Amino acid sequence: MRQQLETALRLSLAAQVRNRLAWILLVVFVPVWYLLIGSMISHTGAEFRLRATGTGIVVDGHNLTLITAGLSAITLITGFVVFAAVRRSLPFDRRLVLSGYRHAALIAAKTNAALVQAVGIGAYAALVLLAFWRPAGAWAVAAAFMLGAATYAAFGLLIGVLVRGDLEGFFLIIMISMLDTFLENPVDNPLANRPLLEFFPSYGPTQFAAAGAFHHQALVSMVGVSLAWTAAFALLGLVVLRLRLPARRWA
Amino acid sequence: MSALTARGICQAFGRRQVLAGLDLEVAAGELVAVVGENGTGKTTLLRILAGDLRPDAGTVTMAGRPGYCPQTVVLDEALTVDQHVRYFQAAYGIGSAARAGELIERLGYASYRGQPAGTLSGGTRQKLSLTLALMHDPPVLLLDEPYQGFDWETYLAFWDLTGELRAAGTATVVISHLVFEQERFDRVCHLTDGQITEEAGRHAPAA
Repeated sequence: MRQQLETALRLSLAAQVRNRLAWILLVVFVPVWYLLIGSMISHTGAEFRLRATGTGIVVDGHNLTLITAGLSAITLITGFVVFAAVRRSLPFDRRLVLSGYRHAALIAAKTNAALVQAVGIGAYAALVLLAFWRPAGAWAVAAAFMLGAATYAAFGLLIGVLVRGDLEGFFLIIMISMLDTFLENPVDNPLANRPLLEFFPSYGPTQFAAAGAFHHQALVSMVGVSLAWTAAFALLGLVVLRLRLPARRWA
Repeated sequence: MSALTARGICQAFGRRQVLAGLDLEVAAGELVAVVGENGTGKTTLLRILAGDLRPDAGTVTMAGRPGYCPQTVVLDEALTVDQHVRYFQAAYGIGSAARAGELIERLGYASYRGQPAGTLSGGTRQKLSLTLALMHDPPVLLLDEPYQGFDWETYLAFWDLTGELRAAGTATVVISHLVFEQERFDRVCHLTDGQITEEAGRHAPAA
């Protein structure tokens, strides 16, 4: 079991490293996205409601938009990377199981590989952000980006095992990610402070990043909210993945 | 001694009954072809034998873990030849990949070991798929049109390998649609109307 887990983890990551489009998106899209958003949004104050504390704070709209833009970019990229990997390897995973690979080893390896990617992409996007803005609570922004990336890694996994075609999957990830992150920002959306948005996946990371960056506060409860989304998507995705793998006949 | 026994296999897709109570028995060291028209259920039968598809009814018993080479080459496009071998080494739980190395040499694609599967030609991908099915010396071998895309030399190397496996006691089932190959098999099973309706007599082993 241990040998299978280590092999699957190592080779899953090795396969991911060869995803050229993901590298291009990371190296080109993330900084260009910050640059574009940063140049278009002014430093006007925007009222942002920190729901966990019940307080409304006036924040720099430009800097808040950099946070939501970063979240938007990493949720898109992580969702895409994991979705593409799951879609690509599903028939191969079936063949591995038929040849004796343990479901648990394969599933644990895929989960860990997705997590490693989410942490890497989140940390990278936070690092690039520093070239455009140096928030006081940069650590909180980095943590929020990793949390957001983890949620969309799990979402990518779920969509990867559910949808039939690549196009449908990409379209779903793009639409949901854009909608989710766009609506959380009061600069883009005048209704961003509505309670309904608490039930969106990027609510936790946005709140955590904003509280850390603008209010020097660590909203631990928001970590829980974000992890709950990740766990829900991952659990559903892994259950469907398990159902789509054949029974293992050989020990 | 029977290495593979399938009894009463039934499989329908919607209203279409593809396999209707099919029986098949293959002895150790026997090389059996399953032939039939397009859409008669040859691939469905092999998927059931390999465990890739659960039949509506019937049972399959086997002498051990089979080697399975599906019709559509199933590889991970991003992984190299050697990485595929490592994956299947872990799947089969075998300590050495020496047999895989030997097969790679014999099938003539050793120079591609470091290349990702997505960059390989169709024939080389098929060779890799065959290597993955054979590398654990299985007691039963299930091959679905295994020589598609092979050049003539590789095609001959394939039949040499099959002859050696037969001599070593491997039970081999090959899905084939090529009539001119039939003299290479010990038995030829015709799949018609969901059943094996005709079995040709025993043929001489391939030269």
